[in-house]
Amino acid sequence: MSRKTALLRAMVTGFVALAVICLTPAARAQDFTGTIVGSGSQIRIAVADFKPGSGDAGSLKRAFDTTLYSDLGNAGIFDLVSKSLAPTSTPGVPAEISLGQWSIAPVNAAMVAFGNLGVSGGKVQVNGFLFDAKNTQYPQVLAKQYQEEASEDSARQIAHRFADEIIFRLGGGTAGIAESKIYFVKLTGANKEIWEMDYDGANQHPITHLGTISISPRISPDSSRLAFVSLGKEGFQVKVYSMLLGRVVNFPSTGGSNSPAWAPDGKSIAFASSRSGDPEIWVSDANGNLARRITNFKGPDSSPVFNPRTGSQIAWISGRTGLPQLYIMDSDGSTVQRLTDGGYVSSPSWSPNGQFVAFAWDRKYGPGAPGGRDIYVMEISSKKWIQLTHDSGLCDFPSWSPDGRHIVYTNGPNDRASSSRIFTMLADGTQKHALTGPGADMPNWSWK
Amino acid sequence: MPTLTLKTRSPKEEESLGSSFAGALVLHAAILGSILGWSLLSHHDQHWGDNASQAGAVQAQMVEALPLPPKVKPVQDQVLASDTPSVAPPKPEPKTEPPPKPNEVLIPDKVKPQKPLPKAEKPPAPEPPKHVQPPPPPTPKATSGDSSGMRIAQVTQQTKSGTSTVNVQERSFGDRFPYYVQAVGGKINRNWIQQEADSRASLGKKVSISFIINADGSVRDVAVASRSGSPTLDLSAVRALQRIDTFGPLPQPGLDHVTVEYTFIPQ
Repeated sequence: MSRKTALLRAMVTGFVALAVICLTPAARAQDFTGTIVGSGSQIRIAVADFKPGSGDAGSLKRAFDTTLYSDLGNAGIFDLVSKSLAPTSTPGVPAEISLGQWSIAPVNAAMVAFGNLGVSGGKVQVNGFLFDAKNTQYPQVLAKQYQEEASEDSARQIAHRFADEIIFRLGGGTAGIAESKIYFVKLTGANKEIWEMDYDGANQHPITHLGTISISPRISPDSSRLAFVSLGKEGFQVKVYSMLLGRVVNFPSTGGSNSPAWAPDGKSIAFASSRSGDPEIWVSDANGNLARRITNFKGPDSSPVFNPRTGSQIAWISGRTGLPQLYIMDSDGSTVQRLTDGGYVSSPSWSPNGQFVAFAWDRKYGPGAPGGRDIYVMEISSKKWIQLTHDSGLCDFPSWSPDGRHIVYTNGPNDRASSSRIFTMLADGTQKHALTGPGADMPNWSWK
Repeated sequence: MPTLTLKTRSPKEEESLGSSFAGALVLHAAILGSILGWSLLSHHDQHWGDNASQAGAVQAQMVEALPLPPKVKPVQDQVLASDTPSVAPPKPEPKTEPPPKPNEVLIPDKVKPQKPLPKAEKPPAPEPPKHVQPPPPPTPKATSGDSSGMRIAQVTQQTKSGTSTVNVQERSFGDRFPYYVQAVGGKINRNWIQQEADSRASLGKKVSISFIINADGSVRDVAVASRSGSPTLDLSAVRALQRIDTFGPLPQPGLDHVTVEYTFIPQ
């Protein structure tokens, strides 16, 4: 027995020694180490007005400067230095900047974005730089050059692209959203058409011209196709519009169908259809073929949305227990879980990292109840939720931005489509502002 | 004269009366039973829009914070740094003593006249007590791995509940790309949910997590380098790293990976 114990002891000692030998070098060879205490702060960034280069840049430069400044402010990860604090000298190239001016009070910037913009031969040329104001040895973080047709729209697009580069570098690898689009329903007279705009509300223009009621736009993950619902002679039908061909492409229409949703691989579409009587969730391929029913329960089921991270789960709204509630299930219809405990839930939107679901919720629904529809976000794993809008009228149709930092939604004083506007906010409920005027509804943020 | 004839009930008739009574009873019982059965079997359907009380199986609770874009503290000492400076608070009005009420006036003959002290007898003014100023509390910075290569202004960030410091060891990566180091620290900060760690068991403890960032920014080999003694704290730190898909591609071209160690200190 004592021999056995001794052997065991020797083995354990040997293993511990081996573990120490294996682990020690790893613990010594870090490239950098750090300490995490509490939550992080925002990076203080200054944006210099770009220096006018050759040619008359006037209005283009103004559009560029404004767009770049607002893009960085909208990103939600920067502490933006007010332009009135910037030094009077306008640096255009790295040789002209004196970083000392930017790193001391009152600017105190950690990062400076600057550059020059010129017009020559009908082309606008932009050189943009991002410098680390407090790193005198290696200040340059980013240098970019852009050349486009000279127009205000392209100046704005260049600013979007440069802002996205900055956000990607400094935001920990999350791509910026300045180049993303928002699709929405626009009330035009008695009809509703699908419109498109930039993420900041600029450049609003129509996509469809069907002359009927078209609602629920959902852009495909590769932005090549737009699924929506349109009122025809057989009721509401799912239709698909090709952004590349610029026309509606074939999609089978059977019975009343509603609220399409793209799978993240773009290969299937989920939608609610009442072809079997009761509205149920169906999944078909991207062309509408091979439709199969995945819910089978008395009571309406609607508003499916795929988990954009995995594509293997669907969140949807079901009225199987009375008032509509938020549920999730696997995309084959199994493992059904109820997420909300009461009230009236509508329009779920799953966050891009799969962690949260945003939805509109009237927690005190019913006659005589002081109902107010607001936007809520729930963490799927813990079922904990927070309320993002308060006392600001009826809010509905939340949609996550591709970076998961913003939510766009509809807000209006009443349920009439003529008075609702599209708002955007950070995902923690701050920085709310309107993107459109009245008559816009049902926003849907593109996937990238 | 007509004769009154009394119909006598034949036993047969009585039997049929009894059976019809029984039949009526059975029929009533059947009707009652079917009503009860119907009300039991057919469950009452609620429809959308009913003012029905809702009972659910799901318990939802408020979360204190989403690990999403954090709110910045307004810069207190620089009014100019903010786009919307707060208005200056009104100056406090000088406090005036209320006038004495008539009944509060001291009766002159009860006040002893103060004898003027002779100059020589004037006691010397007592020394004001010297208050020993306590040393300022140390900020919870990392105490390990400090190097001379980093500029403090770059690496120290004021946070909600303390300071977070990123330290760079002698290898040049952190010197060359401090903004990347800061982005890494910020991203870990945003993904670390302190509430996951048991606050009492984790108090005053710290855990070090080592991991490797690949060239494309993805994370691998997350491991606890030194345990804190609080398993929930260790787990919360590991989960913070597991939540992160990417830190963004490494800024130095040709660099295969960097090895990183972070220390998590709950507040």
